[in-house]
Amino acid sequence: MIQHILHITHVSKHFGGNVAVSDVSFSVDEKEIFGLIGPNGAGKTTLFNCMTGFFPVTSGDIIFDSKKINTLRPDQICRLGMVRTWQRVKPLGSLTVLENVMIGAFSITNATGEANIMAMEQLHAVGLSDYATKPAGSLPIGLKKKLELARVLASRPKMLLLDEICGGLNHTETDSILAIIRAVRNSGTTIVFIEHDMKAVTSICDRIVVLNSGEKLAEGTPEEITTNPAVIAAYLGGGHHA
Amino acid sequence: MKEIATIAIFGLLAALLPLLIGENPYLTGLLITILMMASLSSAWNILGGFAGQYSFGHAAYFGAGAYTTMILLSRFTVNPLLTVLAGIGVACMIALLTGTIVFRLRGHYFALASIAVAEIVRLSVLNFEFTGGAQGILLADVTLWGVDLNSKNPFYYGMLVVLLCTLFLTAYLKRSKTGYYLQAIREDQDAAASLGIDIARYKNRALLMSAALTSVTGSLYALYIRFIDTSAVLDLRLSIEIILTAIIGGVGTLWGAVLGALLLVPLAEMLRSNVLGDLLVKGGFIPETSTLGLFLKENLAHAHVLVYGIITVLCILYLPKGILGLFRRRK
Repeated sequence: MIQHILHITHVSKHFGGNVAVSDVSFSVDEKEIFGLIGPNGAGKTTLFNCMTGFFPVTSGDIIFDSKKINTLRPDQICRLGMVRTWQRVKPLGSLTVLENVMIGAFSITNATGEANIMAMEQLHAVGLSDYATKPAGSLPIGLKKKLELARVLASRPKMLLLDEICGGLNHTETDSILAIIRAVRNSGTTIVFIEHDMKAVTSICDRIVVLNSGEKLAEGTPEEITTNPAVIAAYLGGGHHA
Repeated sequence: MKEIATIAIFGLLAALLPLLIGENPYLTGLLITILMMASLSSAWNILGGFAGQYSFGHAAYFGAGAYTTMILLSRFTVNPLLTVLAGIGVACMIALLTGTIVFRLRGHYFALASIAVAEIVRLSVLNFEFTGGAQGILLADVTLWGVDLNSKNPFYYGMLVVLLCTLFLTAYLKRSKTGYYLQAIREDQDAAASLGIDIARYKNRALLMSAALTSVTGSLYALYIRFIDTSAVLDLRLSIEIILTAIIGGVGTLWGAVLGALLLVPLAEMLRSNVLGDLLVKGGFIPETSTLGLFLKENLAHAHVLVYGIITVLCILYLPKGILGLFRRRK
């Protein structure tokens, strides 16, 4: 039987009078690659911020691994096993690439030696071994995205929230990131994936939720989503058909 | 390991130094001040350099140690070392109170609040009876295990031990989970939180370590001078000197504070005793009776704060990683 690992139930987030997320509900299954898509300002990143404790929700509940997490702090949610990356990468610039990943590994070990070994393994897995001793701030954007990924993977998350991890990358870089993500899922991690680019999303996701102006517009498999007239209208503007 | 060995060698050499210079109270006094500033700035660096939380009020913790020791010794016959422990307790209470309230906020609130807390402590001490108020506290003599602590050497070694403890702690932190977590907080708080770091807890931990070590130095200073008042141990000027020593030496490094103290304390001493003015006037560069000569003679003695300021500005402009940054190859 398929287990739900994450339930979003009637979640809303208001900033004063602005409604960023409005009554959104969906569930994510274990070991699924779940896409969260929508045009600019649809509320995707806001929803991520709510899920990871950076914003309190205005109403609704977020249940992760059978625990209600809406009132927890970001670090507590991370330690429960739900870890995010950032759309605007946040390398710890003056630390080395290796040290950045060690900080991820420290959430499952207290020993520096062990963290070092786990971090090296993770750098190897994403292909950053050669850069281990470089300051993280000096990497080009494509490698910073990989570092972002290696750092969260080092904490062995149950669930990974990726915020436009392919944003700003070329095709080769995108393909290598997507390959890593598939491998991560195969090792048992659930993935929620925010993406702008429909092509990247439809090629990798099992199921997709489309947000538009803070509301859930559609939910389904990639085929269902790409043929949904409401989704096409939202992406291309009313009246046009792809 | 290399760092531990370097600290040990430094400690050994520093321990032999008094044998080398023999009976020279002036020089020993200067060395004690250097060790003291090095300890204070190193302790400040645990919070400012690792966690990136700049305290402008470390005099509060220095004063907490100094005043606790003096108040206890002036009333009771107790082992001075116990009063050092009591000082740590008082300093940690102030730190915990400040940290618990302020570390929930982001940005520069901690820097602002640290000044406010230090001023609250200073004004309270100034206005309470039991702290000696504006008159301060004077202690006739101090004995430890039957030994009269009137000579300077015991304090030289006392300060050296505190400095070595602080350096060992810093070297350990650089390679430990706590140290890495503090650096992550310094670099990016959101990233740190998203990686499972309880930001307030780790900042508090750094503040407590820093405050405790600062307070020990304060207690030793009080036992050494045997007279304290608020302008000596609780002044904002002291807090600023602690920061400047760390910044000029190199924030976030193991040896920066030591280097800063080695440079700045003798410099301040020279300016205070007007070495520079004497050199210019007696060297015949400037006639003694000229307006400039008189002006230099009158005013250079007060110029050390100005010189500190100028050095700091130059450091920030040209050596953002401090003097130690000069010797560090870019990775």
